[in-house]
Amino acid sequence: MPIGNTQPSVRPASAGRAGGAAVSPAAHRSGARPRRTRGGLRAERYAPYILVLPAVLIIVLLRLYPLLLGVNFSFTGDGAQNGTSVGFGNYRELFGDPLFRTALSNVGLLVLLLPVAVAIPGLLATFIYLRVPGHRFYRSVYFFPAVLSPVIVGAIFNLLLAFDGPLNAVLGSFGVGPVDWLGDPDIAMFMVVGVHIWATFGMALVVFLAGFATLDAALLDAARVDGASLRQVVWHVIIPSLARTIQFVFVTTMIGMLTSMFGLLFVMTSGGPEGSTYLPEYYIWIQQGQMNRPALASAASTILFMIMLVVGLLQIKLLERSGKED
Amino acid sequence: MSRLRLGRWLIAIPMSLLALATIYPLLFTANVAMKTRRDYILDRFGLTDTLRWENISTAWTSVGMGRYFVNSLFVVTVSVLLLLLFGSMAGFALSQLRFRGSSALFLGCLAGLFIPFQVIMVPLARIMADTALIDTYPGLILVYVAQFLPFTVFLMTSYYKGIPPEIVDAARIDGSTVYGVYRRIMLPLGTPALLSVGILNALFCWNDVLMALVMMPSADHRTLMIGVTSLRGQYSDNIPTFASGVLIAAIPVLLVYLFLQRQIADGVAAGSTKG
Repeated sequence: MPIGNTQPSVRPASAGRAGGAAVSPAAHRSGARPRRTRGGLRAERYAPYILVLPAVLIIVLLRLYPLLLGVNFSFTGDGAQNGTSVGFGNYRELFGDPLFRTALSNVGLLVLLLPVAVAIPGLLATFIYLRVPGHRFYRSVYFFPAVLSPVIVGAIFNLLLAFDGPLNAVLGSFGVGPVDWLGDPDIAMFMVVGVHIWATFGMALVVFLAGFATLDAALLDAARVDGASLRQVVWHVIIPSLARTIQFVFVTTMIGMLTSMFGLLFVMTSGGPEGSTYLPEYYIWIQQGQMNRPALASAASTILFMIMLVVGLLQIKLLERSGKED
Repeated sequence: MSRLRLGRWLIAIPMSLLALATIYPLLFTANVAMKTRRDYILDRFGLTDTLRWENISTAWTSVGMGRYFVNSLFVVTVSVLLLLLFGSMAGFALSQLRFRGSSALFLGCLAGLFIPFQVIMVPLARIMADTALIDTYPGLILVYVAQFLPFTVFLMTSYYKGIPPEIVDAARIDGSTVYGVYRRIMLPLGTPALLSVGILNALFCWNDVLMALVMMPSADHRTLMIGVTSLRGQYSDNIPTFASGVLIAAIPVLLVYLFLQRQIADGVAAGSTKG
């Protein structure tokens, strides 16, 4: 993901050392570009294109072209109307479909929960950066669920949140519940989002820590010497210096919520109960794979892409503004 | 100063609780995987007093997790090797060689970053069906490569930008061809980045469920993660076997994490701070 910050954290280690073996000392003396025979020259001239060819071909054919194809599909019909133009028919049907409307309002819920999903890793990264006792241990433990597949995470929480499962057993011993965590339409979506945040906050944490690595330590020391409290340090030193990292985490967390919850939805709720846990990506999959409505699914895809475009453009706007402030 | 010190210890308490909440679900699952059905019904939380390895072997053989495991291993290995090959080739050309159209090609690759699979799922499935690649390993591998190539090209390009151009110039004066420079200089120099990007890509492919679900409808072509999703239906009344299946899928990732945590975190950090 592009972002204005240009601090490489994986550095080309030992560029000089390894390169030195392949480069003869004489080569350093002449700074000119190489001369070679005419045939070799022609082959050399095309070499860069041959090197980028596989990547460009795959990305154009299997990323960019399908995007156009999909937008095109979304204006055609399904079934008997396959291939014929139906104008905005699919879009009208989408907005009339209560399941898709639920999916959109759940996107709204995700937007509302976004600050929480960003603040938790931000706060934890701050503590880890300030070297709370055991900070290394916390860092590796917190990051771990982020590498697990949503399917595995979902399966584990299916077990824990089952109606006759362990969580209700614990609550029952306190005389509370049982609560139907994944079966109650008012609760299920919050549980799925909660599990998603549990599983991914480690990713944002690592991004925050990479941002902290670029922070000017002298500034923090100065604040400490001046007797600033933790809250003052966070508000007046850390947040302003990390503005770009924070924006980046906002955008990637939002995109993550929009595009990587399928596994959880599929395993934990299958969109239920009563369709309350639909998200656009799940809706697209159902319409494409189960309902055999590829054109309708394409229309939903186009809308999901629009939503992501808005998120992306918002980031660019924010970056421009912070660029002016710098 | 002592006030701040005390504060740090106070913060450590909720942080430890959170660490416990992060790791407990997996420990719970591992514990359950070793219980008998009866034990689980009687006591969910107690440390297991049996080590029922049969649960694991049941999941491995009769649920078919073993075959799915091998399928996943094959698909992920080939995908990652192709990603690293194409990604490093393009990254080298885009960062070190001057040629007409290079910045347009770089932007084209970057644009791929903003197109998630969900958005192109329908047309991609149709393209794969039209080319008879649906439900085949090459088809799924191609989809994985296309999915993670923009990110790989992006990271390799920014990594190779950090290598001084004099190295390439000098090697070429010595008579090395562009391909020779790639093979003898750029590949070895790129090792740290290739390792980081390779591990991340392996995790992404290993963990994927949606692409495998769309591209691999047949049961015997399933990947391991699809296998996990089918556990619920088959073993909802046999929790220990269910937990064993989950454990089989989680253990490779756990091992990779224990040994290569640094590289994973570096890759994520590099993705966030470069550009």
